[in-house]
Order: sequence, then C-alpha cells, then structure tokens
Amino acid sequence: MSDASSPKPTRTPGEVKVWLTAAGLTVGLLMISGLLLLIAFNGLSVFWPDRVSLFSLKEGDKQVQIAGSLVKTQQRRKADGSFTTELQIFTGNKDAYNLAFRYLDVSSIQEETQPKGLYVAERMEYGDALFTPVSLQLGDGRKIAGNDPAFMAEFDRLIEAGNDRRAEILQIEKKEIGDISARIKQLEIRARTQDVKAELATEQAHYQTLATAAQKLRTAQTADKLTYRLATGEERTQNVGDILHYYLPNDISFIGQFGVFLHSIWEFLMAEPREANTEGGIFPAIFGTFVMTVLMAVMVTPFGIIAAIYLREYARQGIMVQIVRICVNNLAGVPSIVFGVFGLGFFVYGVGGFIDGGVQHPIPPVWWFAAALGALGCVSGGVYLSTHNRTAIPTQQKRQKFLHKVEGTLWILSVFLVVLTIARCPWFHGFFSDSLPTPTFGTGGILWASLTLALMTLPVVIVATEEALVAVPRGVREAALACGASKWQTIQRIVLPSALPGVMTGVILAMARGAGEVAPLMITGVVKLAPSLPLDLSWPFIHAERKFMHLGFHIYDLGFQSPDSEGAKPMVFATTLLLILLVVALNLAAIQIRTRLRKRYMASAF
Amino acid sequence: MPPSFPDAPPPTNSAPGEPRPVPERFIVSRGTLRWDRFMNSAIVFGGIGIIVAVFGIFAFILLEIAPLFQGARVEEKIQIPLSAPKGSLVGLDEWSELPFYFDGGHEVVFQPAKGGPAQRLPTGLPMGTQITAQRHDPLKGRMMIGTSDGRVGFIGISYQSQYQGKGAPIIQPSVKADPLLPLREDPTPAPVVDMDYADAGDKKLFAAIQEIDGQRRLSTMSLRQKKSLMGKGKTEIERRDDLTALLSGVSPKRVLVAGTADSLLVTTDAGEVLYFYRQSSEWQLRQKFQPFDGGPVSGADFLFGQVSLVCYDPTGKVRIFSLFVPEGGSMRLFGLTKEFQPIQGPITYYRASQRNKSFLVGNANECALCYATTASVRRSVKLPFEAVSVAMDAKAEHLGFLDTKGALHLYEVSDPHPEAGLRAFFGQVWYEGFAKPKYEWQSTSGTDDFEPKLSLVPLIIGSLKGTLYAMLFAVPIALLAAIYTSQFLAPQMKRIVKPAMEIMASLPSVVLGFLAALWLAPLIENKVPSILLVILSIPISASILGTLWGRLPILYRNRLPKGTEYLLIAPVMLLLAFLGWQLGPVIERAFFVATMADGSQVADFRLWWPQFTGMPYDQRNCMVVGFMMGFAVIPVVFTIAEDALSNVPPALTSASEALGASRWQVVRTVVLPIASAGIFSALMIGFGRAVGETMIVVMATGNTPVMDEAGRLIFGDLGLGNGNFPLADHWNLFNGMRTLSANIAVELPEAAQGSTHYRTLFLGALVLFAMTFVLNTLAEVLRQKLRDKFKIV
Repeated sequence: MSDASSPKPTRTPGEVKVWLTAAGLTVGLLMISGLLLLIAFNGLSVFWPDRVSLFSLKEGDKQVQIAGSLVKTQQRRKADGSFTTELQIFTGNKDAYNLAFRYLDVSSIQEETQPKGLYVAERMEYGDALFTPVSLQLGDGRKIAGNDPAFMAEFDRLIEAGNDRRAEILQIEKKEIGDISARIKQLEIRARTQDVKAELATEQAHYQTLATAAQKLRTAQTADKLTYRLATGEERTQNVGDILHYYLPNDISFIGQFGVFLHSIWEFLMAEPREANTEGGIFPAIFGTFVMTVLMAVMVTPFGIIAAIYLREYARQGIMVQIVRICVNNLAGVPSIVFGVFGLGFFVYGVGGFIDGGVQHPIPPVWWFAAALGALGCVSGGVYLSTHNRTAIPTQQKRQKFLHKVEGTLWILSVFLVVLTIARCPWFHGFFSDSLPTPTFGTGGILWASLTLALMTLPVVIVATEEALVAVPRGVREAALACGASKWQTIQRIVLPSALPGVMTGVILAMARGAGEVAPLMITGVVKLAPSLPLDLSWPFIHAERKFMHLGFHIYDLGFQSPDSEGAKPMVFATTLLLILLVVALNLAAIQIRTRLRKRYMASAF
Repeated sequence: MPPSFPDAPPPTNSAPGEPRPVPERFIVSRGTLRWDRFMNSAIVFGGIGIIVAVFGIFAFILLEIAPLFQGARVEEKIQIPLSAPKGSLVGLDEWSELPFYFDGGHEVVFQPAKGGPAQRLPTGLPMGTQITAQRHDPLKGRMMIGTSDGRVGFIGISYQSQYQGKGAPIIQPSVKADPLLPLREDPTPAPVVDMDYADAGDKKLFAAIQEIDGQRRLSTMSLRQKKSLMGKGKTEIERRDDLTALLSGVSPKRVLVAGTADSLLVTTDAGEVLYFYRQSSEWQLRQKFQPFDGGPVSGADFLFGQVSLVCYDPTGKVRIFSLFVPEGGSMRLFGLTKEFQPIQGPITYYRASQRNKSFLVGNANECALCYATTASVRRSVKLPFEAVSVAMDAKAEHLGFLDTKGALHLYEVSDPHPEAGLRAFFGQVWYEGFAKPKYEWQSTSGTDDFEPKLSLVPLIIGSLKGTLYAMLFAVPIALLAAIYTSQFLAPQMKRIVKPAMEIMASLPSVVLGFLAALWLAPLIENKVPSILLVILSIPISASILGTLWGRLPILYRNRLPKGTEYLLIAPVMLLLAFLGWQLGPVIERAFFVATMADGSQVADFRLWWPQFTGMPYDQRNCMVVGFMMGFAVIPVVFTIAEDALSNVPPALTSASEALGASRWQVVRTVVLPIASAGIFSALMIGFGRAVGETMIVVMATGNTPVMDEAGRLIFGDLGLGNGNFPLADHWNLFNGMRTLSANIAVELPEAAQGSTHYRTLFLGALVLFAMTFVLNTLAEVLRQKLRDKFKIV
C-alpha cells in the first residue's frame, strides 16, 4: 500500500448501496426479533411476582401513602408540550381505589420503601388485593389478630377449605345442574306433544336439592372474614372464601418468586376466565382453539390429499390442469374474511338452516321418488362401471373410452341427484325444528368455523402435497409398476408413504394458519365467553353446534371490547405469547420436517 | 395386462392362434383390480369434486349478490269489483284482503278480495257533515277529512285479525271517527279544499286551504297535548294562524306539513312551491322556488322521512327537491337533487312507500315504481285499464289501482333491494341532507326513515390507502433485504434468515393488530418527529458506513468475513436510531410549534399537524397501520423476491464479475433486470396480502369510513380540496380509515340474512376476492414466464 508507484486504488462503486441492502436485512431481522422479544418479555413478566413498594407521596399539603408494584416508567406530555416522567404502578384493590393502576409523577414521590409483611391476594372479584392483615374473624366466633403466630396457618387452612368448597360448587352447578337443565329443556320440548308432568316434577325436585346444597356451600364461603388494612390506612373486610391464594411479595426469596411464577402460569393455562375475561385463566380458549384446529385438520387432510393426488397423478398434465393449479395456488392468497363470508352464508345460514328447519322449497313427492331412484341408479351404475368392464383388449379401446365417458356422466349426475334428493326432500322438516326460532345449527358454531377454516387452508395442503408428490422420484414409481403393482397400489404403498412428510408439512402449516386466524371466526361462531366447552362428558360428548372461545379472538376481545383495557393488557400479552408460541412451534415443526425431507431426497435422487 | 409372457409355461389345452392363458401366479386377484379401479375413479371424481367445490365459493357469493341487481317485480294479482264511485278514496289493509273505499258519505265500504258481500260501516260522524277533502294515511291507519264548514279531523280505520283454527285469519275492520276540530274561530262556512297534519310528539300541526268568498286562504292550527300521568292527556288547540298574507296573492293548491310540525309546503297555481317555516311561533316564508322553471306543477308530495319533496308536472317530468344547507348557506333550503326519466303523459297520481324511499307515479296508462336515492326507475308498468288513482298498503307490498269503472286492480309488488344498483355502490349519489353528491358508506342507523348509504368507494379507497402505506414501508425493506440475502449473505446464515422470515409471515394478524393499537399507537402518538428521525437514520447509517468502508484500506476490509455487513451495521444503526429518538423533541420544539387558541405556543406535532395542513390527526392512524401491516407484507415480498433473485443463473453473474464489475454493478445490471418480473410478482402478492388484511385494520384504525374526497380524485370530478395541500389531503397519513375487509368483519355479524346490507357486504367480499385473485394470478403468470425465460438462458 505504501508503494507510491502503484496506481491509487479506486473505490469500489456501489458499496454504499450494498450497505443499504444490508441495512434492509438488519431492519427486517431487528423487527422480527424485537417483536418476539417484546411479546416474550411482556407475556412472561405478567406472571412474575414483582416486589411491592410503598410510596410516600405529597399531594398538596397532605402526605399520602400508596403501595404498588412498578409497571413502567414513561414520559408524559404536559399541556405546554414539555415532557415529565411518571411511573405507572399496579395498586390492585380495585374495589377500594376504583382502578387497579395509578400514575405517579416522579417529582411528587418523597420516599419509596419495600417493607416486609405485605400480602398480595388473588380474589374472585376485583382482582388482586395488596394489604397488611389486621385480623381474621372465623365463622365459629374465634378472632385471630394479624400479628398472631397462628395467623398464617389458620389463613392457609381457610383458603384451602374455600378452594375445595368452590370446586364442589362448580361441580354441582356446572355439571349436575347443567345436565338437569338440559334434560328439562328436552322435556319442555316434548311437553308440547305429550304429557311429561311427572318426569318434569322429578327433575325439578332433583334440581331443588342440588340448588339447596350449592346454596349451603355458598353460605359457608362467606362465614370467615378477613379484615385488612390498605397502605392508605383504610380498613376493609373480605370473605376468605373469595380468596384464591396469596403470597408475600417482599418476604419470599427468588425461589419463592419462581414458585409463584409457575403457579400463576399453571393457573393461567388451566383456570376458567373471571371478571369479563380480564382475570383467571384461559383454559376454554386454549381448548376451543385446540378442538377447532384438530377438527379443521381432520377435515382438510383427506380432501387436500385426494385433490392433490388427482392433480398430480391422475389428471392429464395440460394447460387446463395448469390453470386449475394456478387458481388453487392463488386461493391461498384470497383474504380470510372472504372465506368467512362464504362460511356464514353457506354453512351457517345454508346448511345450518337446513339441518335446523328442514326443506324450505320441497319438490312434489312423485318427483322426489323419481330423483331418488335416479340417484340410486346413477350411483350403482357408476360403481359398477368403475369396478367392471375395463378390458385391456386393444380392439375395444374405443368402447372403453366411451364407457369411461358414460361413467363420468353417471357420477356427475349422481352427485346432482343426491344433492337434489336431500335438499328438496318433502318429508324432511329439520332435526331441531322444535326449538325454532332459536337456531341450533343455524348459527355460528365450532363445526362451521372449522369447516370454513378447512376450506381456507385447503390450498395450503393441496400445494404442499403436490410438491411432495412431485419430489417422489419417477424411478421409484416405475420400479413399483414394473414389479406388477397396480396404479393405486403404487400410490398407496410407495408414493404416499414417501410423500408423507411433505403432506405433514402442509397440514402443520395449515394448522398454524388456522390457529392464528380470527377474522373468519368472528362471523362463524367464536364468542367472548362460551358457557360450555365443545367437548365434554355430557351426551353426545362432541357438541359441534356450540360456540367456542379462541385464543386469537380472546386477544381481540380483551384488547378492544374490555371496559378496563389497561387492566386487561397483562392478560392480552400473556395470551399473545401463548398464541405466538403455538404458531411458531407449529411452523418450526413444519420447517424441520421440510428440511429433513429435502436432505433425504437430495441423497436418494436417481 | 399383456396377454402373454415369454417365460410362461406352454399351454395345455388351447387351440392354436388363441392367446395363451396367463399363468396363475401372474394373475392379479380380481379384488385387487376392482379396488384399484374403484380407487382410481374415486380419486378422479373426488379430486374434480373438491376442486369444483372450492371454486363453488365464487359461485355461491355471486348467487348471493345476484338479487341485488334484479329489478322490481310488479304483477297483477286479482281484480276486485269495488264499484267505487268517482272521486272516492281507496285504501288497502295490511294483508290486502279487505280493501275499502270512502266516497265522502257516511259509510266506509269494505269489499273482501276473495269475494262475498261488502261490509258497510258507518263513520259515526254527525249527520249533515259534508266532507270536501280527504286523505289516507295507511301507516297510521286513518283518514284525514275536511268538511264544508271548515272543520278537520280523522276517521280511524283499524283491522283485527282473528285466528280460527288452522285456516287464514278472519279480518274484522272497524271504523271510528274522532271529534272534528274547527279551523277558524269565526263561524263563517269555509269549505276545506286541502289539509295536512303532522304529529311530532309535543308539537302537532294542522294546515289547511279553505275557500272563503271565492278566495283560497291558508291557515294553520297547532295543538298541544296535555301531559298526564294517566296515559295520554287531552288534546287542546294552542293557537291558530292565517298565512294567506304571506302568499302574496297567489292561489294555493296543495298544502303539506313536514313531520317535524314546524314547516309547511304549499304549491300554487303559478307553478311555485312555497316553503314556510315557524320560528318561535312566528311563521315566515323561507323559500320560494319553481320546480319546473316556471312550468305548471301538477303535484308535490313528501317522500318517506319528509325531507325530500317529489314534484311532478303534466308532461310526466319528476324531480326531487331535498332539504339541505347549501354550501356557504346557513339555513336548510330545498334544492333540486334528482331528476327522473319522464314518463309518457301527465302524472295524475302519486304514492310514497312508508318503508323506504320508493314511490309510485303514473297516469291512466302507465305507472313507474321509482327509488329516490339512486334516482332510478325500478319498474315501469303499462296498465291494461285506465287508472284513476292508486292505493298502497303500509308495507308497500301491494298496489290497488282504481279504474274508471270503479274496479280495483290489485297488484303485488316485490322489490327487496331497491337501494342497490351499480350507481349506489360505485357512483356518487346525492343523499338527503347533503349539499352535494357524495360517496358515502353508512349502512345502518337508529331511525326508521334512514336512507342507507351503500357506496363501496370509500371502503375501497380505505383498503387502498392502508395498502399504500404498508407497501411504502414494507417494500423497500423487503426488497433490500432480499437483494442482500440472495446476493451477499453467507449461505449458512441464509438457511436461518429465510425460515425466520417465514415465521414472521405466519404471525397471527390479530397479534399484530393488538400490538399496533395498544402498544405502538400510544408509544408513537406524541413522538412523530422522533419516528421520522429514526426512519431517516437507517439510510444515513448505511451511507456513512458504506462511504467509510469504501475508504478503508483493503487490508482491514478483508478482515471482515464476506456477507457479515448486516451485523456490523446493526450497532451503528441502533445508535443513530437512538439518537434520532432522543432528538425528536428538540426537532419538535424547533419546527412543529402550534399556536393555541389563547395565543400560547405549544410544541406538539399532534396539534401542529391539523393547524398546518387542515387535516385531522388520529391516534390510530395510517402510520401505525402501515408499520404493523409491514410485518405481514415484508415476509411475503421478501420470500418471493428472494426466490426470484436467487434463481438468476450463476453463469450470468460470474460472467459479469469476470469482466470486472463490482458486486453492486453485477446486481444492478444483471441480477435485477433478470429478476424484475419475479420482483414485480412479489410486489403484487404483497399488495394482495395487504388489501385483504382484516384484523390489523380492525384493531389499529379508527374504522371510520372517511374518504377525504379521495374518490373524487380517482372517480372523476377533479375537485380540489380545502386544505393547503389539496392532493395530500386525500391520503392523510395521520388519520384512520375503514377498509373493505374490516367493514365486513365488523358489520356482517349484525346484518340480517338476505337484507340489502347483507348482500352488499357479500359484494364487498366479492370485490376483495376479485382484487386479490386477479393480482395473484397475474403475479403467478409473470413468475411462470420468468421460469421459462431461465430455461432458455
């Protein structure tokens, strides 16, 4: 470089632009990692028990104390445009303060301490309470002071007993009384036509005993009372039966914090939602998402595979199939809401209305018989032709082609006639016409939602399966055929097994897309709070007509329809984290399978 | 199956010439063959069936939309021998089974449509009452009458339906006259020529034209109902006014009282319409206009809702005048908003629907069912008889034409979607109360007489607007990243980057929407200058580093492994972005200072923006949407563009490198031109994804169907906006919008099945479907072409 005689090296042209492209990639990577980190951090910190601080504030001339855990520090713009720093703290005690969060101006804080002996208790109503206990008034008249050494043990025992009683009440009210009301509803429908007074009376008596038992338990829940003091000095009384659990945030060690953390996560995953979904768990939403996604996968897989096998193995590869392939491909890019619109119009109002209320425009019986006979004839003709009459004698090729066409026509006709006989049957008045105008299937439900999503994800499965089928080497097929296997045998035993990982990739990708989709569900059957799960222990176990809860919709609903959006935010972040984990895990699985698949074919290429 | 095999054992008992039988060990079992054939057929027809079913979506949506574009149906049902005398009033009941006529006598005559004797019910008016004017109000079920001695009142006509067993209900009419009220205090006999009445709750108003001594006089009478705890109180006359003086000599023909009971419309012999308004109990003439430019007016009547006046003339012209505040004006006045195709011959009768903005006009030989909002004739019918007048039932489902012989021809009307039409969906419509034609979406409202505004244009514009900002943000990043990944990035990193981007593509949009609305929007709400600086810092950091790097001695440069520039740039970019973020408030104080109403200066972009540009600033604005939709669009564009760039044959790039091109020169002159079709298709697919995005938009925008005049720019009429930046006004970055997809998601659950609203939302879905499908197909075709091109290379 120091050699003066050598020509001065000119700068490489366009290097700035190369760096600009590098900047583009960096921004993209930062965006995705930032987003995932943001969600992971916010989602996990919801469960972490923060230390609680006691703030001494100066409000005017008064000295005020308030306890709370720090949520975030932020800049607030004042009326004159300048910024001031303020803390957002979680104060809990929504019943006493009206809001669970408070903003403190940093300049007004005089002292901040973390005293020991503060309790945080999760309650059935009004969220968490932050307090120091004063006394415990037991149902049997005893009174234990907060500083009594026996206090903790007694408090633990009472909460334990309360939790047991609550589980019992839930069992009675949800399961047993739920069953009885279902039976009573059935009886009431039957009562229109027959006399069922005696049965009705028995059920009602049974209902009464159960209701009394539940009421008794409920009274027991309110027997023991806790008196506690807030940081502001106010004293309040609380039924111990309404406290779910408690911890001492400033006394427990890191391990203890971790224990509370795990407990909160467990509760979040397994509990029912409370307080308009802003407290408690999201078990029904997880379960609903799971059932919906599995139902969708069960429906989409066979159809997707059949369509793909047809397109790749059976259809003549010409311009027509190419067009169909492009169209199927593009269906994957059609907005999900369009599928939702179709689902509502066709499945919910069309098919659902048909199941509920029966045929709206029946055809005359004579015509119906003719159509039914025709359908029967066409189907049997189709089956016969498709299994017989395929001689391989070369002189009969013309005849064979003709028969092939006849067979196709018969199948098309039979589809048309079968649909006609079912949809216009004059004797079908619906399975649920008794309960009309309250719709059973004629309103959104898990079946329709998963069918809609199945339709939406069908192109994904078709495309992935086709790709997998193409990747199966020609040589393998030809070897199978040469060994005397029939076409179907080749597909069934050779092609499909080796394409299976590819098919699975497609199905997993479809499930990931289906699990994260909300827009079509909003109009085909998802609700903010479903009274019962779509799958439970009462007959017939699978309730395909029920509405359900969904993680994605839960996020939408909590974030936007909730009256206390600040209070709902932690819950939304936690739900978001779960949904993202689910979707990312499914995607990673699909990517993993695909990579392996590629490697295998690279090795086994003929 | 080949008939013979060379190694087959010799035939035992076969004739020569015949094919030798296949040995048993080669024969496939019949079951296998049958199963094979069956599966083959099943897959073929199953596959075709599934594909057809998938495309059935399109067909189904079309079927749902089709009724929107069907016209009205008007068919004659039966003819009823009503034998009503000339000039009598005819009315229909709710079921059109018991039409009646009233000829001003003492009886109302009901004639069952299915035949049978007529029922004559007395009105109950005192004997000697001579009726000189009458009107029928089917919605309220009463007739308004005026008498020769200057009194007005009502005859109520009500029906009770009784269900007896299984058959059709039996309908029993009843007639009851209310006491008549004198219009004037002085007892001079003044026959009522025409009258009208309106009840606006606490205000009630009668207006009438009377003939006194050969001169027509206009007078009003306001009533007041006493409030009482026990049901309705007694109605008493509050005051009477004589408005004849305000007519300035012209003779009134017909009077109409608006539903608000505070204004009157009077048509005169001189072809004028006078609009009177009562302000603090003082009547004044507010407007005088000539509907047919001085020509005669044969009649004028309100439309449902009583905001628009339908005027018709003897030559068959029909014009609608609506109340609105004209631009620059301060009062609501009537102005011409619509003109209809004239019908042949003079218009002799008019009926307005009591359910929507349809009306019927016609003459002896022809009638036309019109819909006011879209100014369209829904159906024009030639009548095989000479019609004198027409009655319409309250549900606007039946028409009863009275012919010259006194027979009633009952017609059935079916027009489920009068509001629909291409003009309503895609054109500018002059809605009631608007100062000019507009594109507007407002599908529902609380009131019955609401006029649905179903223009899809603002929604399409909203979709395009959101998409535009998303693309503005996403495309540079995605394309730059794709170029870097495909051309410069180390291969082992590429194996991580691509799946990472794919995971980004699969992030549920509800998550992005939630973050946009609850995290990003409040975060950047008052940090707009900071955000702008951060965005600027990206290219600045790249150019600083690039320039410096270019000047670095090659010895140092070579120490950095190839394809790791993106790591080196990250800390620089982060640092600059942080600086930009911190500098934002400084910039704001320097440049974005708004002047408050009290004269104080506040450095706040949110206040400055509306002041400077005259456009609103929303917290949930296009910037937020664009940024978050970027998350959805970037991976799509990236993946496809990266594929296209990677597929450029290495022979070409190697050749140009061998000729001494720098790495950027190779990209610019060889790679980019060859991959351009693929990149273009990537952009189109990204566009399709953004157009259809639902949840992000639902959550992150205000969901207001604003159009900011944008439609006018695109769809003709190049009017300029009012702000300082007429063009930018239409694409304001800092306000919200409502897109097609969000609109469907929000409104479809509430739309009644089969209603116009429901079907219009289906139309919106079809527009969305068509937009994305066409774009994707184009992109796919381009990509295929590209692939063919490479095969040649």
